[in-house]
Amino acid sequence: MIGNAYQYLRKLGKTPQPLFESSPYRWKAVDPAQKGTRRTLHGICGSCMQHDCATLVHVEDGIVVKIEGNPESPPNYGSLCGRGRSEIMSLYNPYRVKTPLVRTNPEKGLDVDPMWKEVTWEEALDLVAARLKKVREKDPRGLVVCEGFGNRETLLRKEFTKAFGTPNEVGTHGPLCTIHYASCLVHAAFPEAIAEMEHCRYLVSFGRSLGPNFATTSATRRFAKAIDRGMKLVVIDPRSSYEASKGEWIPIRPGSDLAFLLAMTHVMLHEGLPQDVPFLKNRTNAPYLIGPDGNYHRDPATGKPMMWDAAERCARTFDAAFKEISLEGAYEIDGCLCRTAFDLIREEFGAYTPEWAEPICTVPADTIRRVAREFVDHACIGSTIEIDGFTFPFRPASVNTHRGVNNHRGGTYADLTGKLINMLVGNIEVPGGCVGDSQRGPLLAPDADGVVKPQFEASPMPFKFPPDHIDCHEFYPNKHTGPHLAIKAILEPEKYHHDYGVEAWLNVGGNPIRKNARPEMAVAALKKVPFVVSLAYHMDETTMMADVVLPEHCSLERAMVTTLPPPHQTTGRDVCGLHMAYLREPVPALFNTKHMDDILVELADRLGILHGKGGLYDHLNHKQDRHILADGFALSGEHRLDPDRRYTLEEIYDRQLKSWSRGDGRGLEALREEGRFVHWAPRKEFYTYYFFPGSTTRHPFYFQSLKSVGDTLRTNLAKQGITVPGIDDMETIFDLYRPIPHWVENSEIRAPEGFDCWAINWRTPYYSSDIGNIIGNPWLVELCDEDLCESSIVMNVSTADRKGFKEGDRIIVESRYGKTEGRLHRTELLHPDAVGIPGCFGLGTKLGNPSNRRGASWNSLLPLDDKTFDAVSAGIESAPRVKVYRKETT
Amino acid sequence: VIRYGMVIDLLRCVGCNSCTFACRAEHGTPPGIQYHRVKKYEVGKYPTAKMRFLPMPCMHCQEPACLSVCPTGATYRRDDGLVLIDETKCIGCRYCVVSCPYSSRQFLRKAVNYYPSHDATPYERQKQPEFTLGTAVKCDFCVKRLAQKGLPACVETCPAEARTFGDLNDPRSEVSRLIADAGGSVLHAEIGTGPSVYYIRG
Repeated sequence: MIGNAYQYLRKLGKTPQPLFESSPYRWKAVDPAQKGTRRTLHGICGSCMQHDCATLVHVEDGIVVKIEGNPESPPNYGSLCGRGRSEIMSLYNPYRVKTPLVRTNPEKGLDVDPMWKEVTWEEALDLVAARLKKVREKDPRGLVVCEGFGNRETLLRKEFTKAFGTPNEVGTHGPLCTIHYASCLVHAAFPEAIAEMEHCRYLVSFGRSLGPNFATTSATRRFAKAIDRGMKLVVIDPRSSYEASKGEWIPIRPGSDLAFLLAMTHVMLHEGLPQDVPFLKNRTNAPYLIGPDGNYHRDPATGKPMMWDAAERCARTFDAAFKEISLEGAYEIDGCLCRTAFDLIREEFGAYTPEWAEPICTVPADTIRRVAREFVDHACIGSTIEIDGFTFPFRPASVNTHRGVNNHRGGTYADLTGKLINMLVGNIEVPGGCVGDSQRGPLLAPDADGVVKPQFEASPMPFKFPPDHIDCHEFYPNKHTGPHLAIKAILEPEKYHHDYGVEAWLNVGGNPIRKNARPEMAVAALKKVPFVVSLAYHMDETTMMADVVLPEHCSLERAMVTTLPPPHQTTGRDVCGLHMAYLREPVPALFNTKHMDDILVELADRLGILHGKGGLYDHLNHKQDRHILADGFALSGEHRLDPDRRYTLEEIYDRQLKSWSRGDGRGLEALREEGRFVHWAPRKEFYTYYFFPGSTTRHPFYFQSLKSVGDTLRTNLAKQGITVPGIDDMETIFDLYRPIPHWVENSEIRAPEGFDCWAINWRTPYYSSDIGNIIGNPWLVELCDEDLCESSIVMNVSTADRKGFKEGDRIIVESRYGKTEGRLHRTELLHPDAVGIPGCFGLGTKLGNPSNRRGASWNSLLPLDDKTFDAVSAGIESAPRVKVYRKETT
Repeated sequence: VIRYGMVIDLLRCVGCNSCTFACRAEHGTPPGIQYHRVKKYEVGKYPTAKMRFLPMPCMHCQEPACLSVCPTGATYRRDDGLVLIDETKCIGCRYCVVSCPYSSRQFLRKAVNYYPSHDATPYERQKQPEFTLGTAVKCDFCVKRLAQKGLPACVETCPAEARTFGDLNDPRSEVSRLIADAGGSVLHAEIGTGPSVYYIRG
């Protein structure tokens, strides 16, 4: 343990030195009392953001000897991926933080030894609480609570943040994965909408993984089943990925997917292909009449949007009885010339021919046409399917976009254009089509305008000036997470109009340095924050910047009782109708660490925000699951907490189980015996269409909500006489709030000479999200480093030839924003314009696992200029233009 | 009699290497020792290039090349088809390692720690006694799991359900049916080793 070595050196009168590197860690001997014992614990894997696989953890002589999938339990039914299997090495990791630490060296940096002093938990907690108390007294907004994939299991983080009173919970996992807005708007679903793979026969997948390198087990099972039964898969991607290798690969220039999507929509609107007209008329706002100002034309008496009745030759409010709804046409109403939304959209798409798109995206016009035609052919417009005695529209075709498509300026339009394509065949929330991957239930409830009420991230943050949110939520009302904006605002508070300063940073699983663009800016921002606390598993980049380190358990040591998180990538019957509560029985903690929720309770108690009204327990009493809403844990009735008492985590778990809406009143003791409580919803409830069928709701085809948010923002900014920070020409912002998707040039389309490639990134089977330091896990490192496609800088053979690069050359990739270097691997699996930098390599710290330092850092190439963000999602550009050259060795 | 064998469906396999990690987790093999590998390779030229995957456990051959070269009888073939190594008889001559046409065997020269500059973890200390330095090692089709009526770890763990295990001598078994229906093939059939691992839909 570093503390022992530290004390030993101090006894010798020597200055403490960086001990991780200079002395091998000596593990304690096995506790003799444990010798001969054998136990098997119920586990839940903690090695990716999905963290849903049920496991069995085998312990012999007090040592964890094996983790395997629990063969009896969904969602993985005995399977487990490499990351899950390797979790043992996250437990037995000598680079873990093993005891509370306080910095003695005021100088901060990734390669500067903090000269940690070991302290007791009491000392550390008292110290942190005293500092945070001062921050709270001055202005609670001065605390940033930074979360991330490092630990998203915590039960109490949000409640701690609320009780503290800061609006500044910042997630570091988001700005490179802005995939949510369009699904929140069109499906009222979060996190996103995906292909229903049980029935889908034609899936067009842009810029995403479908399982093999993400949520491996259940997603891969469903993916393999779909391929097995003959689903046609078209993967449009700069890289021939695992998925593309199982279907048709259509290589596309990085960052140009919007052009393909616009052209595909053009073909579907202008080239004589059938559309699901009844769906468009009865289940979308496509027939709504739009006035000259671009807004719904509203009935003066009721304020309701209107449609044209072709039979009666008059406009009526959308909820009136219609003889024949007009989808097309221009009509004069009360002296105002209106057109249907559908007409306007079709007109907008008139220019986006496949021939227009080809030079932008490099995909031949004929290929774009063919994909559009095949997609429509496979959608079986007009057909139905009966499930549980309920008749659904049957549309076995889906278009889905993801991170590689959406993370550009204009990326929200790419996602929304994908929705238009899906709506043209009427496949929203029906078997075979495009369905939300979260809660099943009455999500599609219409608002006063008769249109699905925008939910989650599509529901805008109200404006306030000066702004409260350090991540600039007021300026990006529909954004995903904004750590990059928080970093910028900390560095330049005046520019972002904050009237308070960030006084403290409480890190609870996030890593703004490794997980974002321009790591050096995050380092500078954290240096500027007067007090940084890290609830840390290992000596990662953020922990190196901390003043106090509070060591947390690793995932195997963390008790947890949870409901099954919603599946994130592909769906099928085998998991989506499932409500399950299950548990992780912890293995004994190896070091002087604590459960993160216990740390938060200890801090809350010392801060005086645990008890009473508005305290942590009070907030927990009113908590609802963010994803599965009423199907998740919520305390109710007699099981609510007495806010003035102290509870153990187990007592809280027990109460959550007993008040679970899908449970039968049994608690923790019964769960321990059974391992899981399982409730299967009827199959028909899997499709949210069921709850609002036919013409009982309308999906937004015309994105009035987007326009309204933009108009409101315009008004609010004008009132203050300001622009969105960092933006000179505000029309570049409002251009992205128009109600109809259109072509947007992202920041990388035009680049100076020499920047002839685009750098792209993907997750790998060895690294999906930064949890338990899997990038340094020796089991994963061993296989990853043998897999040149996943551990090198990857380039098409012809491009490498042109540049004179040989296999294994040391090369430098340089964008206009940063550079990185690594080993070259030549491949045929990449678009010639792309340079692939997989995973999340590079960086690392002086005291961390040396494996964290290897590889090229793609994140270092990304821009943090406000002008490069998507104005709606605030997403970071994910395909920077780069030049590539050989590193000259001397 | 039973003849244990495996069928690997290459259409379903997505190359995630879950099998390789399951094997490591089952046996606790030291760094550099992998009883199972997935050979990843490319076919075709841009723009039609694809990744291909070939998962490779020990083939448990009917006529094992490794067996015939073993001078001490350490390598033996059981009646149920498993080709195993008796480490007490192995003298570390490595004839078997070089003779295996599938590179399924490795020589365990020395134990290296997972975290190279640190002491062996408690996990390694627990697992290391199961290995004998200076001997040949390889996949044993998880013989201990079979003894408890279980499946090999790589079969159990496969998220794509690409692997099937069973009795090749029973025409009604799932493995026999898959081989018959999909036209199973073995690697290097021409050299007559008679592998018990079949591939389908490659």
